Amino acid sequence: MKTKHIIAGSLLLALTLAVGFFSGREFLSMRQDDEIFPSSGLTAKKMLSDYFPALKDTAGDTEVFIFDSAAKGGNLLIVGGTHPNEPAGTMTAILLAETIRAAQGKAVIIPWANASGFTHSDPQEGSPQRFFLETPAGRRWFRLGSRVTNPVHQWPDPTIYVNPMGQKLAGIEARNLNRAYPGKATGYLTEKVAFAVMALIQKEGIELGIDLHESAPEYPVINAIVFHENASELAAIAQMELQAEGFEFRLEASPPNLRGLTHREWGDAAGIKAVLLETPNASHGRLKGRPTISLIVDGKDKYYEQAARLGRLFVPYGPDGIPLKLRVARHLAGVRAILASFNELEPDKAIELADMPSPADVQAKGLGPFLK
Amino acid sequence: MVAVFVLLATVFKLPMGISLALSALAGSLAGGEGIALRHLVEGAFGFFDIILIIASAMIFMKVLQESGILDSLVAAILRAFYKNKILLLLTVMLLIMFPGMITGSSLAAVLSTGPLIAPVLIKLGLPRLKAAAFIAVGAILGMIAPPVNILVMIMGGGVDMPYVGLTLPLLIITVPPAVIIALWLGTKDLRIVSREEMQFLLPASLREKYGFRLYLPLLVVLVLMVLQNFRIGPIPDLGLPAIFFVGSLTGLFCGRRFNFFKATQKAMEEAMPILSILAGVGMFVQVMTLTGGRGWAVMTFLALPPALLYLSIAVSMPLFGGVSAFGSASVLGVPFLLALIEKNALITSSALSAIVGIGDLMPPAAMAARFSAQVVGEKNFFRVLRHCMIPAFLILAMGIGVLLLAPLLDKVI
Amino acid sequence: MRILYHLIVLYMTIQLVWYLFREKNFWKQASLVLVLVLFLLRLFLIE
Repeated sequence: MKTKHIIAGSLLLALTLAVGFFSGREFLSMRQDDEIFPSSGLTAKKMLSDYFPALKDTAGDTEVFIFDSAAKGGNLLIVGGTHPNEPAGTMTAILLAETIRAAQGKAVIIPWANASGFTHSDPQEGSPQRFFLETPAGRRWFRLGSRVTNPVHQWPDPTIYVNPMGQKLAGIEARNLNRAYPGKATGYLTEKVAFAVMALIQKEGIELGIDLHESAPEYPVINAIVFHENASELAAIAQMELQAEGFEFRLEASPPNLRGLTHREWGDAAGIKAVLLETPNASHGRLKGRPTISLIVDGKDKYYEQAARLGRLFVPYGPDGIPLKLRVARHLAGVRAILASFNELEPDKAIELADMPSPADVQAKGLGPFLK
Repeated sequence: MVAVFVLLATVFKLPMGISLALSALAGSLAGGEGIALRHLVEGAFGFFDIILIIASAMIFMKVLQESGILDSLVAAILRAFYKNKILLLLTVMLLIMFPGMITGSSLAAVLSTGPLIAPVLIKLGLPRLKAAAFIAVGAILGMIAPPVNILVMIMGGGVDMPYVGLTLPLLIITVPPAVIIALWLGTKDLRIVSREEMQFLLPASLREKYGFRLYLPLLVVLVLMVLQNFRIGPIPDLGLPAIFFVGSLTGLFCGRRFNFFKATQKAMEEAMPILSILAGVGMFVQVMTLTGGRGWAVMTFLALPPALLYLSIAVSMPLFGGVSAFGSASVLGVPFLLALIEKNALITSSALSAIVGIGDLMPPAAMAARFSAQVVGEKNFFRVLRHCMIPAFLILAMGIGVLLLAPLLDKVI
Repeated sequence: MRILYHLIVLYMTIQLVWYLFREKNFWKQASLVLVLVLFLLRLFLIE
């Protein structure tokens, strides 16, 4: 029959539209932002676009939470969500924004630095779109995004990405916020976000910047403080303090020829003391088993356990896994130690944050009880 | 999942793309994930950029053919080099490598200069299948050769190694095989022809009628490819799909007139098998990851005793490359690079990129072989693969050799 | 650049749909679905 293939074509087109509709609905669900309930210590809520208006009404714009004290002191920037698939970074930033009060100086918190990256998942990683935590007010969800900006918002990728510092990288890195510093006002969306963060650093008079990350357990820079050379003493003192508390941290100097990263360009271009913290996250590693919600929250994985026994990892990985609460506790301990070290080195610019949950409590009880 | 795939593809003889998609669906059901529609589509999206590149490159190829530009270019090359066999072979090898060298993609090489090279070689006596093998292997060497090697960039990204200082190691790995393979594949069959015979072989050239304009589309594509290495001035970062499109549109005005819409339809028809395979592979990989199968596979290779490490590199990296060379570089290349961390990472990543590059010859995707077969008009790309075996082993041996000799090379360079 | 790519995807989507109705072999038509879904979702900037 002549019309047979037309009928088949119509049916298949209908099937295509149905698949597109149902999968599309799930993809679009990621565009709904997570909720945050800042503590009463919040003194101002701004948008990143307030520092760089070209970002307004783009997917790169994101919330900035400012906790200012009346007392004279230094200014701190805490960034989470540079990589939206590293949940301990984001969760630590959210936890701080929902609990702290500035007792001296000022703290600026950006929980979802690459906001666009939170609106999709990395293809072929099989990641869940969100995970859940029990809080006193009930169950809350948080998105697990992709390492890079959503291609829908920044498209196409160049074949080779030459970043603002002239470093050549694989094309996809054009969407990696932590390769885009110090940013470019007329560049890609991701470069504009980096540019806006640099503008914020200048406008808010930031003196100390902490970028919160996670890395795969097979990656050498892990459980680490990565520091710009202008923060080497700061990092060393912090490490000793952490060791005394029972948290092992490696010290990693920011390699001078690795360009576009926070710990390099915040220090070079803005002259602030820049550090980056890493905790081990199995859910974005290459050896992971099923990428379930439990892998994110409880962090148990039999293949990582096996890899640890074979000596392939840079962190111990036992049957208890490395749960989110431990990773967030490590970040909190890191932030606290770096602040203490900063205050010791620069007493006239001291920054004091009150009501910050203690790392030991978070490790014991989980994050939930401290969130709203 | 693998069993379902083999069953569908061989017993039911369904197209590869559909077989992959259905076996991914079966895997998702068996893994207790139900019909994981979002995951299936998301996995396929992992290859969307490559799908776009292939589709636009195929249109470009069709444009070159339909406008008579291809024939004219072939005539020009034949005229210039018909006298000297070795010079011809080496020039042709460089020509096929060039787009790969500047884009880091073997596919760009096969699809841009491949259609040009194939008729030249065939007219001078090289069997069709050998010509295809020449193009496939040359394209892979181009992908590995400097200045741009995306495989190394991907692996380097996983261990924070900047893409600096790789030119020399990459040249060491690619130049000897390129010379040897070009001569090995070509010398026996290629004939030196007389001037009269050459005139006879020449395809109909439109040079007289359209002049230099004929070379414009290919020139535009190559110049734009080179330019994207620099982010300068007003020239935007086009990316390969747009570059091929600009080339195609230029072709509309540079040769014989033809119907652009119809040319695109032909291109779509020819590209469809590989496009659907890529989408299917993407779904398959995503479900593999989703059900923990990928982790199991990676761990199995990593768990081999150290003595077998090199063997497992030599086997697993090209094998996974059959799904995607870029995927293999990321999923296996990074752990292996870390396992070899005590050696110079510039050298080991270069060597690993050569090994993983061979993956572009491996089924099911076998991108380089599949498209070079298409370029010479061969339906069954396995027949091309037979001629790629020895060159592939040479590249593999080169890669493993460099890995083993890394400490020595480290001192020399 | 974004607009240029949007146009490319639009052009290819039209071509794909046209081809879907021109092709007589069912399995080839079905293979096309795998690809067409991607083009549609990108065309509408959903994924």
